[in-house]
Amino acid sequence: MPPPYAWFMGVAFVAHCLLNQNSKVLDGAHCAGVYSPMVDVLRAKGWRIEQMPCPELAFAGLNRFWAVREQYDTAAFRRHCKRLSAAVADVIAVRVNQGEDVVLIGIEGSPSMGVTITSSDPERGGRPEWPDGSPELISGEGIFVEELRAALESRGINYPRVAGETHAIPGHDETVQRARLEAVLADRPDGSAGGA
Amino acid sequence: MRTVQTGVPVARDARSFRVALVADRYVNPPPDGTDGLAVAADTGWGVLQLPAEDYPASLAGPLLAEVAEQAEEFRRHGYDLVLVGERDGLAEALAQVGLALPDSIVPGSAAELSTFLRARPAPAAIGPSGPVR
Repeated sequence: MPPPYAWFMGVAFVAHCLLNQNSKVLDGAHCAGVYSPMVDVLRAKGWRIEQMPCPELAFAGLNRFWAVREQYDTAAFRRHCKRLSAAVADVIAVRVNQGEDVVLIGIEGSPSMGVTITSSDPERGGRPEWPDGSPELISGEGIFVEELRAALESRGINYPRVAGETHAIPGHDETVQRARLEAVLADRPDGSAGGA
Repeated sequence: MRTVQTGVPVARDARSFRVALVADRYVNPPPDGTDGLAVAADTGWGVLQLPAEDYPASLAGPLLAEVAEQAEEFRRHGYDLVLVGERDGLAEALAQVGLALPDSIVPGSAAELSTFLRARPAPAAIGPSGPVR
């Protein structure tokens, strides 16, 4: 039996806040609810959307501080992310085993949802005062994304192609962000077109 | 930053304080279906997507548990919550965190959903006079 969503180009597993900016750390919401620039591209290209849980929301709450990887990299947060990533990896495995193309859309610069850029500052802690700027941005993955990669590996599932929302990155340009997303969607492993 | 009262969220960004739990068929609508995601974007609501209807309990259960935990955090901070569509197991998952099913709609059209969302009262996190700034 064909999968019920066979008319979709593939399945995009998206960071929670792309559909719900209310989950953002305070001062971080860019719009009221749905972040349309990324969602519109996925829709226009015919991708099914699956929203992942926000690792920080239920763990640290709506009044959490902005934080870097080191502040979230605790045993308890790792366990939380392992639980969440297991649930997501199970769904990804079903999709992949049905022959569907899968991409992962994260949040660049995020301590938990970064896919190629995360944030790091081993010295950060204590009274929350530090200068503006973004010296903490480094190449790497957020903690949830690391755990998701491990969960997929343990299921024998290849890590999917990734793209990220880039508001936290200096020089953020919505046109560039869109072009990168479109390129990732089009880069299908079977060489077929990635959407209209 | 303006301190108003301990525990009262202060609107310092663009968030709406409105979150809809949305059944998958309205996030990924069939060709003739109601596009709930587009309506949510148009009306300024955030979306908490519910697992696809055809997912077995072994897949959907853990996802529903996470939806419930996140809904609990929104509710305890006074964000408005509604349910768009239906999902088996949601009521039980919400009950696990002490929540009842929120006000809901099974919309027959985008216009009907839009009317429902726009008619909601101001969330407790905002208050009747608008966001605290």
